[in-house]
Amino acid sequence: MKRRNFLKNLCAVSALATVATPSMVMGKDAPKQKPKGVNAMSYDSALNAITGGKPVADSPKVSLTVPEIAENGAVVPVKVNVDHPMEENNYVKAIHILTTKNGNARAADVMLTPMNGKGYFATRIKLGSTQDVVAVVELSDGTFIKASKSVKVTIGGCG
Amino acid sequence: MDINRRDFLQIAAALGILGATGGANLFAGEAGKERIKNLSFSDLMAFEPKGKATLLHICDMHAHIKPLYWREPSTLISAKNLVGTPGFICGKTFEEFYGIAPGSLDEYFDTYINFETLARKFGKMGGIAHMKPIIDHVKKERGEKNVLLLDSGDTWQGTAVALKTRGEAIVDAQNYLGVDVMVGHWEFTYGKERVQELIGMLKGDFISQNVVDNDPFSDTFEELIFPPYTIKEVGGAKIGIIGQSFPFTSTANPKRFTEGWSFGLRHESLQEYVDTLRKEKKVDCVVVLSHDGFSVDQELAKKVKGVDFILSGHTHDPSPKPIVVNDTVILIAGSHGKFVGRLDLDIQNKKVVDYSFKLIPVASNIIPADKAGEALVEKWYKPYNKELNEVLGTTKGVLYKRDTFYSTFDALIGQAIQDEMKSDIVFTPGYRWGTTLLPGDKILKDNVYEMTAITYPEVYTFDLKGSVIANLMEDIADNVFNANPLLQQGGDMSRLTGASYSIKIDAPSGKRISDFKIGGKLLDPKKTYRVSSWGGNLQNAGENLDEKHIRPVYDIVSDYIRKKGVIDISNQSNVKVLDFDCGCPKKGATC
Repeated sequence: MKRRNFLKNLCAVSALATVATPSMVMGKDAPKQKPKGVNAMSYDSALNAITGGKPVADSPKVSLTVPEIAENGAVVPVKVNVDHPMEENNYVKAIHILTTKNGNARAADVMLTPMNGKGYFATRIKLGSTQDVVAVVELSDGTFIKASKSVKVTIGGCG
Repeated sequence: MDINRRDFLQIAAALGILGATGGANLFAGEAGKERIKNLSFSDLMAFEPKGKATLLHICDMHAHIKPLYWREPSTLISAKNLVGTPGFICGKTFEEFYGIAPGSLDEYFDTYINFETLARKFGKMGGIAHMKPIIDHVKKERGEKNVLLLDSGDTWQGTAVALKTRGEAIVDAQNYLGVDVMVGHWEFTYGKERVQELIGMLKGDFISQNVVDNDPFSDTFEELIFPPYTIKEVGGAKIGIIGQSFPFTSTANPKRFTEGWSFGLRHESLQEYVDTLRKEKKVDCVVVLSHDGFSVDQELAKKVKGVDFILSGHTHDPSPKPIVVNDTVILIAGSHGKFVGRLDLDIQNKKVVDYSFKLIPVASNIIPADKAGEALVEKWYKPYNKELNEVLGTTKGVLYKRDTFYSTFDALIGQAIQDEMKSDIVFTPGYRWGTTLLPGDKILKDNVYEMTAITYPEVYTFDLKGSVIANLMEDIADNVFNANPLLQQGGDMSRLTGASYSIKIDAPSGKRISDFKIGGKLLDPKKTYRVSSWGGNLQNAGENLDEKHIRPVYDIVSDYIRKKGVIDISNQSNVKVLDFDCGCPKKGATC
């Protein structure tokens, strides 16, 4: 499969994965309208729900690619690549993408098997404001590793 | 590092004797004219050559094919960790850092100090007819095939002829100068299709490794829009040149012009191209031709390994000396056609072993004009001369653009808009391009275009709540004053008319601005204000847009100057900086 078709398919998946993320529009009073409902979830509770309270260490094995400054907060490209084998009993089991300040911190959850061949996932997520994007990775032995990066969301201005 | 300090002391010695003689004006009267005459073209061109290859560098011409006056900033403030370092340095601090003699041609080209006096002595700067003799001279000295002319972009936009010919006049000028390779930023505001047409007319290459297709349903998703690099044989060496267009084009300018294209710094892929050029293509030297901005490129040099030179642009800094970060040498050549940078390379055994660099000032009174260049300028101006040469009025004081917070030309634009739209507050963008007029100068229609010639000139008037205005200003302040250069966008603060505020640069993001007054009264977060703005996207945040009264900014400003006749703008800034006592702080944030 060509790389771009592979990416295209992943994007189709991601559209489903991000559907629950609340939409926020910069510039209006949106940040005040905090979503109240079943989807509202803080970063800490989302992380806890994923790990069940297990420790998560920052790891250079997780490479997270995001823009320094979002071109459009509504569609911020996120790529996660995990430098880890994808073998029968030793593989990347899941990639979770979290945000630290969105109303619903949980942006995407992707389950993988050795058949995926690579611990890689790319998608686009919405960011309501400047915050960190965190990739939490679950390995088949039940341990968790992560990487995080800050993304600035701005209405722009200068030239 | 072996900057050609001797060269530039030679010029200082020829000109900058003012300081040594206790401030006596050596350029007054007939004797002074004689003294200026004595500074010859060959003094400007004096250079200690190295090796066989030469790269000439220009950046941020902003379509100024004619000479102009251009005053550098008297206030250039940033985060405390950055002020006084290259990219955030002006006035006396600049002179001390780079070793510039008072009264010299360098003082005139690099700082605001004694600007009006020196402008009358040395005359206008730049202009293609004066740049060309420099390029020709170097090509004659080094051999045509041993010289490349590289352009860091912001070339196609900034004047009336550029706007009216949708960039064509400027591409013609680039072909005349012999531009071999370029990257872009304001170029993109002509729209994707026009950009491709103009690239078709350009004899050189347009390269960028950081512009990719952004449409997930396109067959070319994530593929490059332009060639990422080019390899040139120069002076017997193989030089790989990688392009970096402006990483924040889609936030700094309207997205509609580049819909479907994604920008960004993309230092990871830059590293891959550097490695490809070194390992697979076996180049002798890697150059990044960049529009990232001078400070961003200093950060980039910490992230990417194996780059010999970054030829930077965007932030309009003149840097007479190269800046070295790790093993990468970073150069930038001012703006508005004021300089041609010359970089000689000594390449042996597939490695750069030595280099020398100089910014050659394009002093139009010292460099005789090339006839073909004058004819080219005349050809493109001719259809518009009647309109552009209209005298709209005169100015009592100096009208300039560059400053972190406030400038007289922007204040004039803001006044004109407020007068016509009767708005409470006017936002004018903190671009770094424009022009400068001296006290007593006539203001031509052409000059108004030099400040406002953009493809989205509409002035919008709409309602914004006080709280939204406050948030917008904090957002803009964070783009200008973030302590991390990678999170800045290389512009100055938006200029306000009808308002004033205090700012603490070092305060956390979102908490910098205080004492914000509109119409002399403290901003009321709950009140709705009538706002006019242009050149940005603030109108998208507003309500009750006055759709019947949307006019181009250059028409509004021209009408106002015609009505007033004589323009008298105060030099007093409407912004109070709380944590700096001067406009040009030194390293360590002292004055």
